[in-house]
Amino acid sequence: MVPSCVNNRFKTCSVLPHIITRIISHLVYSVNSVSSVTYAVSLFFFFGAAAMEGRCAVETWAVGLSGTSCTPRVKFGLGTDVFFCTGSDEVYVFSTQERKLTAVLQFPDPVSDLVGSHDKQLLYVACRSGVYCVSLQFQLSRAPSSPADASSSLAELKIPSEFLVVAEEGVLSVLLVGSVFLTLSQTDTSWMLTLYKSSNYEMLSSFSLPLVSGVVHSDTEGQTAMRKRPVLICVHSNDATPPSSSEATLTDGHVRLESVLFKLLFGIDAALAKSPVILCGLPDGCLCFLPLRHPGSRLRVLRSLEQPVVFVGASVVMERGPGHAQCLVAVGELGKVVLIKTDKGGSEGGGNRTGFIEGCVPGPVMCGCVDKNCLYYSTGSDLLVLDLSEGLSRREGQEKDEETSRKTEAALRSPTSLNVCRVAALAEPTCNTAGEVQLLGLSVRGQLQRITLPAGREDARLSKEPSALVGRSVRDLLSAIGDVCERASVLKTAIKSKNQILRHLNQVLNISFLLIASASSEEHLPIQEKPIRCHGVTSWSRLLQKDSLNLTCVLDNPSPYILERGWTLSVAVFPLSYPPSAGGESSSTNFSFPFHNLHPGETLEVSLPLAAAGEASFPMTVSCSLIFSLASLLGEEAANLPGLQSSCISLPLNTLTVDWLHVLQVNSPIATHKKATSQSNNTTDTLQAFLRSRRIRCSGRGEGGGESASKPEREYSASIRVSSELLRDTLLLKSSDLDAHVQKWPPQNVGLSLLEWMLSEGPGGVTTGHQGDKIALSSSVVHAQGPDGHTVKLTAKEVNVEEGSAEKEESQTAVEVQVESSSIAAVCGLHHAVLRRVQTLLQRAPEKAASTKGVQSLGLRQVLQRAEHLLQQIQQSRISGAFGVGVSTGQMTRSLLSVYRELRENPLLIV
Amino acid sequence: MSDKMYQPLSLLYRWIQENNELVNKCKQRGGGDALSPDQNKPHLRWCSSEFHKLLKKIQGIPPLADYLQLELTVVYNVCLCSTAQSQFSEAELLLTQATERVLQMTGDAPVASDPPVFWRTVINSVGDTALNPCVLYLLCLQWAIWLSTCQLKIIQECQDELFSVFETLSTGVWDEGRSELREKSSDIPLLVMDPRRLIELLQICTIIAQGAESLSEGRSSEALSGLQTASSLPAPRTLIAYTHLLSGSCLAHMSCPQMALQCYRKALETDSRCVCALYQSMLIYRQLGNTQAEIQGLRLLHSTLMLPFATEPALADTRLLSPSLLLRSQSLSSLLSVPSALSVLHNLALKCVHHGRVSDGVEYYLDLLAVLHSEDQHGVHAEGPPLPSLPELYLQAGAALLMARRPADCMALCDEVITTTLELLPEKVVLAEPEEKCEAETRALCAEGDDRVAMLLWAGAAYLLQGHCHTQLKDWKQAVTHYTRCFNLLVKARFKKGSFQPQIPSADMVGKQGTDLCILQKLKGLSLAGRGISFTQTDQLREALRDLQLSMQAFPECVSAGLWCGEVLWRLGRRWEAAACWEKTWSFTPQFSVE
Repeated sequence: MVPSCVNNRFKTCSVLPHIITRIISHLVYSVNSVSSVTYAVSLFFFFGAAAMEGRCAVETWAVGLSGTSCTPRVKFGLGTDVFFCTGSDEVYVFSTQERKLTAVLQFPDPVSDLVGSHDKQLLYVACRSGVYCVSLQFQLSRAPSSPADASSSLAELKIPSEFLVVAEEGVLSVLLVGSVFLTLSQTDTSWMLTLYKSSNYEMLSSFSLPLVSGVVHSDTEGQTAMRKRPVLICVHSNDATPPSSSEATLTDGHVRLESVLFKLLFGIDAALAKSPVILCGLPDGCLCFLPLRHPGSRLRVLRSLEQPVVFVGASVVMERGPGHAQCLVAVGELGKVVLIKTDKGGSEGGGNRTGFIEGCVPGPVMCGCVDKNCLYYSTGSDLLVLDLSEGLSRREGQEKDEETSRKTEAALRSPTSLNVCRVAALAEPTCNTAGEVQLLGLSVRGQLQRITLPAGREDARLSKEPSALVGRSVRDLLSAIGDVCERASVLKTAIKSKNQILRHLNQVLNISFLLIASASSEEHLPIQEKPIRCHGVTSWSRLLQKDSLNLTCVLDNPSPYILERGWTLSVAVFPLSYPPSAGGESSSTNFSFPFHNLHPGETLEVSLPLAAAGEASFPMTVSCSLIFSLASLLGEEAANLPGLQSSCISLPLNTLTVDWLHVLQVNSPIATHKKATSQSNNTTDTLQAFLRSRRIRCSGRGEGGGESASKPEREYSASIRVSSELLRDTLLLKSSDLDAHVQKWPPQNVGLSLLEWMLSEGPGGVTTGHQGDKIALSSSVVHAQGPDGHTVKLTAKEVNVEEGSAEKEESQTAVEVQVESSSIAAVCGLHHAVLRRVQTLLQRAPEKAASTKGVQSLGLRQVLQRAEHLLQQIQQSRISGAFGVGVSTGQMTRSLLSVYRELRENPLLIV
Repeated sequence: MSDKMYQPLSLLYRWIQENNELVNKCKQRGGGDALSPDQNKPHLRWCSSEFHKLLKKIQGIPPLADYLQLELTVVYNVCLCSTAQSQFSEAELLLTQATERVLQMTGDAPVASDPPVFWRTVINSVGDTALNPCVLYLLCLQWAIWLSTCQLKIIQECQDELFSVFETLSTGVWDEGRSELREKSSDIPLLVMDPRRLIELLQICTIIAQGAESLSEGRSSEALSGLQTASSLPAPRTLIAYTHLLSGSCLAHMSCPQMALQCYRKALETDSRCVCALYQSMLIYRQLGNTQAEIQGLRLLHSTLMLPFATEPALADTRLLSPSLLLRSQSLSSLLSVPSALSVLHNLALKCVHHGRVSDGVEYYLDLLAVLHSEDQHGVHAEGPPLPSLPELYLQAGAALLMARRPADCMALCDEVITTTLELLPEKVVLAEPEEKCEAETRALCAEGDDRVAMLLWAGAAYLLQGHCHTQLKDWKQAVTHYTRCFNLLVKARFKKGSFQPQIPSADMVGKQGTDLCILQKLKGLSLAGRGISFTQTDQLREALRDLQLSMQAFPECVSAGLWCGEVLWRLGRRWEAAACWEKTWSFTPQFSVE
């Protein structure tokens, strides 16, 4: 991904490519011109010198995946190994000898901290779910080395939960002190420091300290914020001999402190017991300590920094003079630096005392480390070094007056920049053989870097003349420039293609935001205002003696953005309800149509089969969405990233509903009559349909006439009543909108126009396809054929709804739409469809101040009572159904059906 | 009947199955292996949340008699899990909701919130139906919650109801139902804990808690009768041991130490882990002045405390609700508290040294120091009196070693103290008057000052002991050196009284015994006396006389100084004065002091 070794000198100077192109152009025009060469050389010197002056060499060693859940961490491990984690759930093992990553350990949860034990070669890793202990050697030997990985010899190990040794949730920091293993975790109200035996992970004891809430809450707003890791170190007294001889050198996280300061800070008891002391720097600003081996010891606060503690360490030695003492350094996130040291006998003549020197450096401090007398810290944008001895010695030299203390602060406030940016974590500094200080850093992006500080920084700063470079020959420089030119051209093409991709991505993002914004405000927007949308047209077609229904989906792009390569229109069709025979699974069909460019204002038309006659169940939901696959964005490069193949963005557009009214095949006597001569095929159909409808009508009449029980065929019916006034208002308004010439409908035609409107137009963007030969309905009775082949009858007639009150005979005209069919499915479907239409009609209805002439109080009450009764019936049957007591299923179905029919046949008037 | 075959499993049956599966899972994990309660927590939490979900589903439909039994069973399970996790308010809320639903079903109006009345109404409204036992179980749980939250008063008020519950559940009614249920167990909702076990546990725990409460309020005889009846109840051994222990404490309060000892012995016989009984009997021996028995008791106590702590294998059924969860009253825990092993060891060592068993005492001191230095010792929390600070322990051990004629070891210990403190010793230190010490504004300053004074005294005492060591070795020159160092150190302390300037303290300023000032003066006197004696041994009689006289001035009660002063005067031929000196010295009652 990133070149494994990039010299910082080239990387950080962003203006360099411009300069180089200028140099190149100069070279092209006057190759032999000496002046241009000198110009180039002088430029080179200029930048070279700039790079040399305050900057140190940075080598990028490895790159890890960066995460965000925890602060990154880098540590020296066994021998030449370096461990680092970047906040994700992986820990990387880097071998400094081989200069490459040797292992990646993957944990189930994001890693918050890690600590290695040197003698047993164990690695303790704190995750969200607990602490894992991994034996590296064992793991590496067990790892399967696949042939593909053999070349890189990078072992990827998934750490299973068997390695969980301490199941404590939310451990933020861990530390190993001899045979004791410590964890620090945070609960809602307190910090918990828990001690475990490292041999069997038996809990020894646990200490808590109340959380100082003010500081923590102010800077970690919300739960999603990165959890700050407390600093956990172990302080040993200088005169205390290490407990075991193998621990002669101090391991990671352990510091040694001069005995006087140790006694002053942690008490005589801790010193007498030769007890190590645990020092915690907490994100709430507390610096607290716990003598490890002292009966009845408590976590006590040493000092509060009043800002999250980022680093605590001990400056190891100051052997310049007898007056110099060792000191403890604590650094806060906002730049507060506290030096804790021994003060020789004060004015009161009382022995040694603890001295605190506070200073402030420009923050924010992300991480820090300390060596003999320097504090190195990173602000994220720069790495800085602060000379601690300077501040201390000045203080020692002439104390008493405030003037010097101000000087101290000044010294603390003037750190030197090292010009390395984006360092997020630092390990302890080391010295290489040449006497240069080397830091191991981890960048924000998860790069492991070795930062080598120039040997004599002080001297380098003084002597600025680039005398060393004088001897270089011009030829060398020219060849170097040539190399750079070559590199630059390669980079240029790469940048160009990346720009292309970025532009493409920009379009994609624009569209995404457009659609997401509209999706979130969908409730308020009517369907027409959707920026990119689909609408559909249904049409019956006859192929191979079989009727089939087609839906033509039209994707409209009125937005100002282009839908470019990579987009796919996906249409999912599934029935709103499904027959019980389907086994409870809704069968959805997906169609996807990849397309190239759809410019603003263009439309894309695709057609898909909905169903053959009698197969599907209506109403059907057609949900459209736009899908963008990320793989198409990168083109060929995507092949290298196997994970990218499946990743895509899916943006829902709108959802269409194809209901029964859309799929009716109307048998209009007149229409067929017109076409009878031309299409004989159609005639037979209509004839059949006609015959069928006659038959049904006869039986229907029979039912209407009275309760004749001796009916051979059962007829189902449902009706809806809509106030004619409403219809007149809305339909007239509608037609006047549509047509230039205002149609005046005679009042008795309202039923007819309602039927016409219902059959021709549809709400929600779907229209019926037979508009071409617009059916002129002669009467307000329509016979049609449903998708399942059953004939249905739609009647719209005007009725008078009479108010039953005796005093005032008030009547209101309404249109009753009656649906009749021998198939209950057809009746249900059509009733549903008609209701939907009426709903849209109601939405469209103009607001009227007092539209209701009079409430049908009595009728309403009756209806309400009836409805309540029905509701009770339903509940009864549901409860008994749930418990399986009482009625059988057949009985239940029957009762439910009767309830349904009763509901449908006695409609309320829609006003 | 035939069409019942075709219909899907009824909800009631499904829910019963779900409940039973959960109960089995809960019991399996809880009963099988010896997991500590901590490790069991996630599992318990999981169980609890699953039960909650189930309950939510059941409570989604209006209360009907058919499945209210199931609902109440699930409520019982949920509440038990919640209580086991110490979520009492949550459990109580569930209980209230459930009982309200019962009332809703029976059609009774909701009643007052007064607990006894409320529960009486609920039980009456249910009557003798199948729901009756379920409601009684819930009352049991309510009892458990009251007990855990130490609401003993309410328990007292509801005593009648609770007693009737106890009667009902422990008689055959439950057994009948049980045997009947067992035949078709898949149809019966199971319980996570046998209510009979629960009620037994509750009964004894209530008596123990009430006993502890009355004991702490001084009504010992009242508590005693209840506790003695409780000791014959069926219960875990630990709890029986507690009843004996509390009876013993009652008797001790009623000043019947011998009977108390009998009770403690019974407690120990019942449960050998009842360390507290051992501790209490040790205290009684101390009160009786039986030093031998006291030391024996301390030794036993220490060795018991050093035993690896083994958790009692709880009965499978009582695992969910441990007695410790039910016995959380402050008065009981203070009765049951035992000092830490280290503190006991220190006490033992001190007692041995004080009562003439110096060699034993020395061994205990050395044990104590070894433990304090061992790596395995990790600041374990200790209740009761804290150990004295480490330098004091060192000095005590040093004194013991000196008494056991091991001066070299003593000197090593003192060296340690001196090297640690020396660097921190102030040039001068001000001793403030005790009354002044506790003023709020100077407390922080005082604390630091106290530290310094303490350090000064430690170092002084260490020098004094070293001087004594050299005296014992008859190395008079060295002894003089160390006594001088001690004295030089001690004169750094100034005494400040009221608003006066700090001054070198004198004997007449010593007010109370045991204050820093008193110790300072005593140390001064002893060091001067020691130097005087050493001078006497090297025949520097003049110097000796000066020191001894100064010593008597600083610390008039110093007997040896007086005696030696007389001796020196005698040798110097001032016989008259010598006699007077001796006479004066003998007038003081001889006192024993060990620092």
